[in-house]
Amino acid sequence: MVLMLLNTLTFHAPKTIPEAARLFADLKDVKILAGGTFLLNSLKLLKTKGTKTAAHVLSLAGIQDLKGITVDPKGLTIRSMTTITDIFESPHLKDNFQVLRTVCRNISTTPIRNMATFGGNLTCRYTWTEMPAVLIALDARMHFIGPDGIPQETGAEDFFKNAARTDKIFTHAYIPRDTGASIAYRRVKKMSDVDVPLLSLCVKTNLKGKQWSNTRVSINSTTVFAQRDILLEEFLDRSQSHPKLGEEALKHLTVSIYDTRSSEYKQHMFRVCIKTAIEEISR
Amino acid sequence: MIVSLTINGQKHDLDLKGHETLLEVLRDRLSMTGTKTACQESECGTCTVMINGRAILSCITLAINRQGDDITTIEGLAKGDTLHPVQQAFLDCGAVQCGFCIPGLIMSTTALLEKNPRPSQEEIEYALDGNICRCAGYPKIFDAVRAAGKVMSKVHENKNQ
Repeated sequence: MVLMLLNTLTFHAPKTIPEAARLFADLKDVKILAGGTFLLNSLKLLKTKGTKTAAHVLSLAGIQDLKGITVDPKGLTIRSMTTITDIFESPHLKDNFQVLRTVCRNISTTPIRNMATFGGNLTCRYTWTEMPAVLIALDARMHFIGPDGIPQETGAEDFFKNAARTDKIFTHAYIPRDTGASIAYRRVKKMSDVDVPLLSLCVKTNLKGKQWSNTRVSINSTTVFAQRDILLEEFLDRSQSHPKLGEEALKHLTVSIYDTRSSEYKQHMFRVCIKTAIEEISR
Repeated sequence: MIVSLTINGQKHDLDLKGHETLLEVLRDRLSMTGTKTACQESECGTCTVMINGRAILSCITLAINRQGDDITTIEGLAKGDTLHPVQQAFLDCGAVQCGFCIPGLIMSTTALLEKNPRPSQEEIEYALDGNICRCAGYPKIFDAVRAAGKVMSKVHENKNQ
């Protein structure tokens, strides 16, 4: 039997970032192919439904400048076509970057981690991916290049506030080093064989003795897009660690964030995750 | 577009269309039907092959995107009549029930053991988490992975001496 899983498409494989940016701007009806783990399944699903699929696919696999991880005294650069496995195995994940290893370990299955990329996870515009909450908590800067060739950057928080929309090529993220950070990460999935998280949450703070400061709480999945809970952060920055802090914090949530698209049990899980994450740091 | 794919060490010059997955090319163009097709949506792992030493799902891989890569399928493991240690261990341990998932499991196991011939149980489960066996024959599959690991670690040690 001859399969035909996808509709016909025109394949493009640029070798440089400027070439990719130009093609992305010029082609109509184009999708970017990073690891392919979201895109190809989406195209197959649309085909089975009889829906028109993208006429052009623009693969970034041949662009060496989009691959790899580098570190400097001030921070970590992760390029967009670096696979989840490559991030997981990187020797550079120390200090506040260690949480990325936990995140990578949780993503899907081994063959998917071998294929899926950092950039694909951040820019695919699915709301349930793993990386966004952590990148917001770590105050990452996201870098893009458009057809004019001029590099642009934006904070991860602003990128997701804009629903992860971009008409440019995402090249890399830069994550500042924070050796004094305390970080807790939570992720809940429905069952062991379903890899999609129902929620993900990252809490980062700088403890001065017991005093919380520079706290960032970011959440994703059951929310519309990854975002910070500013009210909760403000409360925590006025607080000191103590055994009941997690419980108290639940009275200071930005309720509207959790209301959106969240069923009651998911809201409950968010509360459990927030409470235990804060307790983990408080200990 | 003429694309040169390196599969099991052999170059294949193929006139590929952009939409053809590696799974389709292996099975329909090259008659390499050892790589199985089941869910076709990256859930089951039966279509697993190795690309550059890593387990990859051929059902969500565009063949045209893999020019220059080193692709290994289940057909590429045995050397003549001598089975690869992983294949032999699966037979010796009785790890094969219906057998449909086995090519994918063998590819994932090979990718693991080539890198880490003495994996812990946790590492085995982590490496094989993308391969589903609906016969639920996991205990013997894990036995086979450990048995193959013993053979492969000796090969590694001999190489390093």
